[in-house]
Amino acid sequence: MKYLKQINKYGLLTAILISVSLCASAQTVIPFDSTIYDRLNALEEKVNYHKSGEDHFMVAGLATIGFASAKTTNTMNGVESVTKTNSFPDADHFEFSPMLLWRHGTKFLMEFEPSFNNNGLSVNWADVSYFAAPNLILRAGYFVLPFGTYAKREAAGWINKLATDPMGVADMPSTDYGVEAEGGLPLGSMKMNYDIALTNGLQLLQDGTLTTGNIADNNNNKTITARLGLLPFSNSCLEIGVSGMFGKVGDAGTGFQNVKGNMYAFDLNFVKTFSPILLNIKSQYNIVNIGDANYVNPVDTTQSYTFKNHSTSGFVQCSIRPTGIQALHDFELAGRYTSYNTPANSTWGSNQHSVSIGLNYWLSWRSVVRVAYEAYTGNSTASQALNAFTGTTNTNTLYLQFSIQL
Amino acid sequence: MKKYKTIQRLSAVLIIVAAVITITSINGCAPSKAVAAKTGVQLWSENCQRCHNTPSPSTFSPEMWETVGMHMQTRALLTEDERKKIVEFLKSSR
Repeated sequence: MKYLKQINKYGLLTAILISVSLCASAQTVIPFDSTIYDRLNALEEKVNYHKSGEDHFMVAGLATIGFASAKTTNTMNGVESVTKTNSFPDADHFEFSPMLLWRHGTKFLMEFEPSFNNNGLSVNWADVSYFAAPNLILRAGYFVLPFGTYAKREAAGWINKLATDPMGVADMPSTDYGVEAEGGLPLGSMKMNYDIALTNGLQLLQDGTLTTGNIADNNNNKTITARLGLLPFSNSCLEIGVSGMFGKVGDAGTGFQNVKGNMYAFDLNFVKTFSPILLNIKSQYNIVNIGDANYVNPVDTTQSYTFKNHSTSGFVQCSIRPTGIQALHDFELAGRYTSYNTPANSTWGSNQHSVSIGLNYWLSWRSVVRVAYEAYTGNSTASQALNAFTGTTNTNTLYLQFSIQL
Repeated sequence: MKKYKTIQRLSAVLIIVAAVITITSINGCAPSKAVAAKTGVQLWSENCQRCHNTPSPSTFSPEMWETVGMHMQTRALLTEDERKKIVEFLKSSR
């Protein structure tokens, strides 16, 4: 009993001490400064003022400038003629192309890229994309055709590893007016992507070459272009693709009106680090078949001539970058072999090939200075009866180039 | 004529079979568990370099990355999930 009383006393004493200490601490609380509320409100207002909206507009794009020094030797019937040119900037590859991007909420994206280049002022693309479903994008306007991957992904000067575009592959008209559906799809550990476009179609010219589609269709037939890509490895290091383009290319109401074009492209892209080297291999092969047609003879316009309008073009490019070596990781060495065969017995028939090598120095991830050398050989297969050049051409060119993504 | 009709029927059957396979494939499209678990930084290092050097996150503002991400999805045909993860990584690593 005595023991219980003692506990009560100590309990009471503890309760008093706690109460006293709580009262003491309560007295030390500083009254809340109302100016803090004002400062918080001002800060909240500022944050709201700078908070991004649903829409967004920005300018990106690219610029490429350079210098080219070339020596060309034409040989015909044993007679050589040599020409030397120095061009500053390298006219064939100069461009200033700001790209305007409008994001309209989360579903729409408008892309417009005007370009000032060797051809004056032109437009690379002007289209509207609608992100319709997780892996489905719908597009309308003037856009890059899904034929191979070079034109759509690799042609920009700050992406390209060499100073020139691969002839033939890059000479193929790459843009058109129409509608497009595309997307990427997961397939377990693999991925695939699809891209299909319905457009006005390319136009066949009087010499049998093709030019890019017009805003007004040259015939009532629409052209289908489609590409299917597969990335078989989970780390996306390899992509292989196959493309096709099918449609009439001749102008309605002319002798070309039933002429069709059937074109195919095969592409490969392999990028992987084998420490300390980043290996990058790119390749594309195009086949162009244009139906039979009678063309006006440029020597005698009352006469016609014909030829098998079949062209092939392709390139293999390899570059290595020692990303794992501190002293060299900004350098990238690239080489490319290109082949381009155009129809024999036409005015532009030729078997051409070129070898290019280049050394890139990356100033940043998106700006590069490069020096490149290209050796080109063209053996004409054109018709002598059409007054075409039927000799051999050799051109050696040295390039200095700077390219930047804006 | 009989042969032509047989070819027509065969073509129709093939088209139907192809359509069923396509629809089934598309609906059944799903990444494996390992692929689905990939982080934004992994996808950034694997996918951007397929075309160009891997971009520095500090290049653009978060708003700009959203816009650039949409543009890149149309070019490289990334999946929606890949684009979202890469953009999120770029925005958070500036």
